[in-house]
Formats: sequence, C-alpha cells, structure tokens
Amino acid sequence: MTQNLAPTLAEDVVLLLLDDQSGTLLPIQEAAFKCALAGAMLMDLAFAYRIDTDLHSLMVSDRTPVGDPMLDRVLERISGHPEVSSAHAWVEILSSEEAGIIREQALARLVEHGVLQRHRKFPRLFRAHRYARVDGVTERELKGHIRDVLHSDDIPDPRDVALICLVDACSILADIFPREEIEQVAPRIEQFHRMDLIGHEVTGTIDEARRAIVLAVRTRAARFGKWLAAFSFGGGLAAVATLLAPRIPMPDRFGPGLFELLWSDETWQQWSGYTLLGISLAGLLVALLMKTPLLVRRKSRDWWPLVHVGFGAGCVLALFAHTGFRFGVNLNAALMWNYLALLVFGALVGISMRRTARPPLNAALNRLRRFSIRAHLLALLPLPALLALHLLIVYLY
Amino acid sequence: MSRNTLLWILGTAGTLLATAVAVAWMTVGGDRRILLPGKTADAHHQIELACETCHAAGAFASAKKAEKALNKACRGCHEAELKAAGDSHPPRKFRNPRMAAHWEKLDARLCTACHVEHRPETTRTSAVTVPTDFCVACHSEGERDVRANRPSHAGLAFDTCASSGCHNYHDNQALYADFLVRHADQPWLVPVPVHRLSVQTRTRASRTEAALGRGDAMAPESALRDPAILDAWAASGHATAGENCAACHAPVAAKAAGQSGIEAQWVEAPDTAVCEGCHRWQAKTFAQGRHGMRQHPRVSKPRDPHRRIAALGLGTWLPEAAVAWFTDPAPPRRMTVAETHLPIHAEAAHLSLHCGSCHRPHAVDTEAAAVEACASCHNDSHTQAYFGSPHHALWKAETAGEAEPGTGVSCATCHLEKVERRGNIVANHNQNDLLRPNSKMIRPVCLDCHGLGFSLDALADPRLIARNFRGKPESRVESIAWAVRRAAENPQEEETESRVQSPRRNSP
Repeated sequence: MTQNLAPTLAEDVVLLLLDDQSGTLLPIQEAAFKCALAGAMLMDLAFAYRIDTDLHSLMVSDRTPVGDPMLDRVLERISGHPEVSSAHAWVEILSSEEAGIIREQALARLVEHGVLQRHRKFPRLFRAHRYARVDGVTERELKGHIRDVLHSDDIPDPRDVALICLVDACSILADIFPREEIEQVAPRIEQFHRMDLIGHEVTGTIDEARRAIVLAVRTRAARFGKWLAAFSFGGGLAAVATLLAPRIPMPDRFGPGLFELLWSDETWQQWSGYTLLGISLAGLLVALLMKTPLLVRRKSRDWWPLVHVGFGAGCVLALFAHTGFRFGVNLNAALMWNYLALLVFGALVGISMRRTARPPLNAALNRLRRFSIRAHLLALLPLPALLALHLLIVYLY
Repeated sequence: MSRNTLLWILGTAGTLLATAVAVAWMTVGGDRRILLPGKTADAHHQIELACETCHAAGAFASAKKAEKALNKACRGCHEAELKAAGDSHPPRKFRNPRMAAHWEKLDARLCTACHVEHRPETTRTSAVTVPTDFCVACHSEGERDVRANRPSHAGLAFDTCASSGCHNYHDNQALYADFLVRHADQPWLVPVPVHRLSVQTRTRASRTEAALGRGDAMAPESALRDPAILDAWAASGHATAGENCAACHAPVAAKAAGQSGIEAQWVEAPDTAVCEGCHRWQAKTFAQGRHGMRQHPRVSKPRDPHRRIAALGLGTWLPEAAVAWFTDPAPPRRMTVAETHLPIHAEAAHLSLHCGSCHRPHAVDTEAAAVEACASCHNDSHTQAYFGSPHHALWKAETAGEAEPGTGVSCATCHLEKVERRGNIVANHNQNDLLRPNSKMIRPVCLDCHGLGFSLDALADPRLIARNFRGKPESRVESIAWAVRRAAENPQEEETESRVQSPRRNSP
C-alpha cells in the first residue's frame, strides 16, 4: 500500500502534464518528459538525503531505503553502479531505461490516492487507458500553488523550487501555463535557477540535477538532429518516388546491359535481394540495440538513430536495384507495399523527430511523430514473414 | 507484463502463424494463388495452379536440378510438336562443345533461356521473354555473321529477323531458302483451289451394310420420343458407321446385354469419356491443345494433403477441417470460356470446353463445329471479320452444295489441321500445331489454294489478318526474291541448305 506515502515530484510532473480533455498526457517532447521524470527521481532522492553531488560527480551518501518503492528502486540502481558518476549520466540512463516504469508507477499512485480515475479507452490497441481527474481539486491546487509561488516574493519551499526548475529545465513550463504568464515571471524563474532563495542543504544537488536535465534535453535535440532529418527526408523521398515513379521499362535490346542484368539475371537478382535483406537486418539490429543497455549507456548512442536511418535509405536503393520500381503481384506486391510503408513511416519519424525535439513544440507534428512510430512498428511486424515466404518460394519451387 | 511487450508478443505470434500457414500451403497443400509471382504466358494460365507440372524438382533442389526439371516439363508437352516442325534450333545442336562460346550469351540448350514463366512484362509472342533481336547472340560475328555472309542482309536490324515474316527460331519448314526458291513462281491463287484433305472429310461416306436407320435405334421408349434427335442420329456418321444409341448411352450393355440391360444402364447425358473411348486420337490432341490442356496427362494432379501430412507425422493428429483447409483448390477439369484471356462473347462465358461444346451430340455435325461453334465463343476482330470474307463466301457455297467439297474455308480448315491416320482423315484438335508462328499453316493449309509469296505476305500483315484476309497484303516479304537471287549466284550452297530441312507431312 502506498496510501501514506508523500507524493513524489514525478507524480507532480505527471499531474501537471495530464490533459483534462483527452485524459492523456500533454503531447510534449518525449525526451523532455523522460528527462523530467528521471530528474524528479534524483531530486527526490536528494531531498531524502540519499544522494549528493560535488563539482564532478554524483554519489550515494546513504544506501538506506527511503521506504518509497519508486525511489528505492532508483536508489538501488544507482548504488549498484558506482562506476557511473555524473548526474548527467544518470539522467541519461534513467530517462532511457526507467522513464516508462516511473510514469506508470506515478499514474498508478495517483489513481491509488484517488486523484485520478482510470478508464479503458477504445481502441485499446495502443493506449489502453485514459485518466480523468476525480474532482480536479488536486490539480487546481497544484497549478494554483505553483502560480502563487511564481508571482509572490515570498521565500519558496525547496520542493516548489525543485518542481519549477524541473519543468522549466525540460522546457515544458510553457505547456502548462500561458506563454505570456511565463514571460511575466521569467525574472522570478531565473532567481530560482540561481538557488539563492533557498538555504537548503540539497541545493547543490538540485541545481546539478537541473543542469544535467538541461544538458540531456538540449544535446538530444541538437545532436545529429539535422542529419537525421536530412537522411530521413532523402530516404522518404526515394521511397515515395518508388511508389509514384513509373517503372523503368525492361531493355528491348539483347545484351548484358546493367538493367537487364539487375532485373532478369537470377544471380544478380539474388545479389540485390540478399543485399536488401542484409541492410534490412542491420537496420533492425541497430533499432533493437538502441533499446538495450549495450548502447544506451554509450556516448555514441546518438549516432545510432543516424545509422538506423542510413540503413533505411540504403534499403530504398537496394529495393530499386532489386525491383526497378516494379511492385509485382500477390505476395511480391504485399512485400513491396510493406517495405515502402516501413520506409515512408520511418522517414516521417525521422523528420518529425527533428521538429518535435526542439521547443516550441508543434502539437500536430508531435501527433504525427507518434502515429508514424506506431505505423513504422506495425509495418515491421509482417515483414519477416513476407521476406521468409519470398525466399522460400525461390527455394521450394 | 507491459502493454508494449504484450503487443510485441501478439504481433510476433500472429506473424509466425501467418508464415506457418503460408509455408503449409507451399509444402502440404492449399490455395497457392497468393504465391504466384506473376501471370503465366499464353494458355498456361489454365494450369498455373498445378505448380508441380513444371516445378517438379522438389523442395530445396539445386538450381541446376530445378532448371533441368523445368526444361524437361517444357519438352514433355512441346517436344513432339517441335520435332514434327523440324526444329531449326534443337537443343542438341547447342550441346556441341564448339557452341560453348555462345552459352554465356544465350544458352540455347535450355528452353528457359528464352521462355521464362511468370514474367508478363517481358513476355512477347510465343511466350518469348528475351528481346526480339536475340538472334544477335549467335549470328552477329564469325562465320555465322549473317550480315557479312549475305549481302541481302547487310544493314538489317536483328529485331526484324522474326518479325518480318522471314524467319522463325524453331519452325522454318515453309521459310527455308530452297523451299522459297521452289515455290517462287506460284500465282497468288492456284488454278484449282481445293484443300486436299478436306475434300475427303467433306464428302459424305456412302452407306454400308453396317449402316443403321431410324428403325434400328436401340434405346428406352422414353428416349425415342423426340423425332428430331432420332433423325439427327440416323443421318449422322455414327449411324452410318453402325453405332447405335446405346453405344454412347449404355456402352457396356450395348456390347453384351439386350434391350433390358440397355434400359437398366441408360445414361441420359453421357460423359466425354464415352467419346474418348472411340475417338482416342482426337481426345489426345484435344488435351494437347489450348481447349483441353487441363486434361493433358503431364499436368500435375492436386496434392494429396493426407499423404503429405502423414509424411510429417501429423496424419491422425490434425482435424479433418484443417486437412480440408490444406487441400489444393481443384480448378474444373474442363476450362470454362470465361477463363480465357481472349475476347469472348459474354453469353458464352459459362460454357465449359469438351467434345459436346463444339459437336452436337446426335448430329455430330462437323460443319457447325467448324465455324458456328468457334464464333459462338470467340469475339476477336479476326473471327468477326470472317463472316462476309472471301473465305466465308466459299464456305457458304460449299455447305450449300453450290461448290465442290474442299473449296470452302472454315475456321477449322486453317486452325485444326487435317491429318491422315490409318486411311482416315481426322482433325488434329491441338490447334497449337497451326497457330504460332502463323507460318506453320502455310504448308498444310495455305499452299493448297495460294502461292507461297502471297501466303507469306498475307501472314506477315497483321492488319490483313485482323480483317480476315479481306483485301491484299499491304507489304511484301522480300525473302523469296532474296533467296532466288542468292540461289542464282550460289547454286551449290542452296542445295546444301535444303538437305538439312525436314519436309513436313501433308505438305506439297
């Protein structure tokens, strides 16, 4: 039972970002939201005097469990990896590996505390639930309280400062309050950043966590974003061209021309086909590795989306070499459509990711990104089966 | 378990299940239409679901074995036809190691070098899938360089070899130089234009002692009530040859039992097997042709799912409903008119093709089968233009008794070759033998009435063919003139060439 546990900063962040209309979280930048949840955990642990920071590192000062399963889980993780020593690294790791769990735990706790009600949502395929506030009081109280803190000249509570720093560091303050209001209280927020209003012992850790969040969000948005979008755009354009361009006619002159070899010679067909298969598998492998700790903790992790998109663009070229814009019929046509759907939606993800990773957030683009990710994954599901059948037909008949 | 994990598990399971089903369709049985990589060529669409007819090498056979099996399948159905045509480029010619240099360019030892199935985009006339200038592979260099060897061919493009009416790859029995020279001076119409073999089929045989009349009909009382049927039979070749009603309607009883046995075994609408019992050669050639190729003995039968499942050790485990699901869809044994890819009359779409489709069962009237039966289904420009054409006028005159037998020209005259077998003139029901290339019909048909020059010109003019030969050819095939000139210049060489050609039967 968690009835008697004090609300965590993560719960406050989730509550602030819950959209009353849809019952779902506001469409904010996913990276920013994940960093906010990770930072909230670190800040709560700092308030519980379990972690501390100095100029260079984050260390566990007390391994004793806090008594809150959410925080204890993270504390245990940090304790188990003394080799990871910076706040920035922990924001990176927790936002990549734990953010989903933290979000679910926070929502569950809010439901358990009677702040939210969970409803099933139709269709249930992707988002199984939506949340409605029980009476809206808690949320109004929280928002009103934050507003009061921002507008007053009183000495704020350290937790309020931490929460404001948290949402501001993730650039999501503008998603909660009107922009004009944010501009009005900008000097006050700047005061909070300097941490000179609170004389709390954990000020240093909070500030370090805030800086780590800012760093994580900005680097994610900036690193290779331009190249990612460019690669995606190029690959997507080529995929759409495959869809719309007229097929290149087969040569009507006898002789070993390149096109005749590519599309008539069985050996060349096998080469181009297996090349396409290899590139597809490599792209899939990179996508899977991106989700595993093997790459998540490496500094090179930001390269891998670029590599993944590069393989996607390579797929388009190999697809052209293998088919010459021909869709074929029956199973071959299904495979071609499947490939193109995968590539086009993948390209849309790459393009929209660039735009949605930088504030201000465009809600429509963000929805497009989410839709594209799901469509990209859905298109991936039948591909192995279609490829296997395509290959089997060659060897069985 | 998180929602994402669940979705991934469900998606993967669904994908694996779909793969398993499709693999079962491939290996055990079931509807394989979705696996077809492309349309099959020409009339092969009739047997495209009988994959094992051509893909006979078995699963995971080596590429060499698979290729061998494919080519064996081609030869299994088409070898006799090519042999009869004196194939100019038989595979054995290219197995000679001295031809090895050409294998890289075009491996003519294999049918599949030029005829690849499931490639509609590159499939040309006669199911050829290589570019039309393929002759360039062997005849553009060295001692076989035709442009260097023959002054008349200098500057000619290779894509005109087979499209100008001069050459075919396989069948050149009416196109080789010596034949051209021998028939060079023929007029466009011979003095007595009569199709020799049709004369015999169109002349009604005189009644013999075995001939039966109306009073001889052996059938149940109820079957004899329709006088029209009785009259048709009495006037038919069946009655003339002494074949009674029971020969078809109760064939077993007709041989042994009396009237009571016939009544007991009487079948109102006998199956074509009854026809095939007597007209074996016609039935055989019918199955070799486009109308009846599903009955060709080399077409693979639907796979037996029970046997295949039992081989996997699941024979008794799978429920019958699942076994039924993995059963090959069996297309009707007889093709329906609707299945053809040719223009047809919509009202004939439901008809299936069997003996009775063209031959009226009691009259066995070959006149109707020779024209009306064809035109009742085919609706292309060539067929439409036949009515009112000079050939049709001759046919009408003959059937009206105003002209001599054999002077008329029906659809069957040109498309169903007449052949002499054991003293009888019978129709070869494999229309392929005279169809493509159309020069196949020059020797057995055209030359009975027309000169070679006119025949070549006419058959090389697609617009004239579409008009069903109303008018004169618009262009001239130069091959006769060139052959005559060359023969005059090199008489010895021409003699050598004539020896390697095999003359066709039934030809002038």
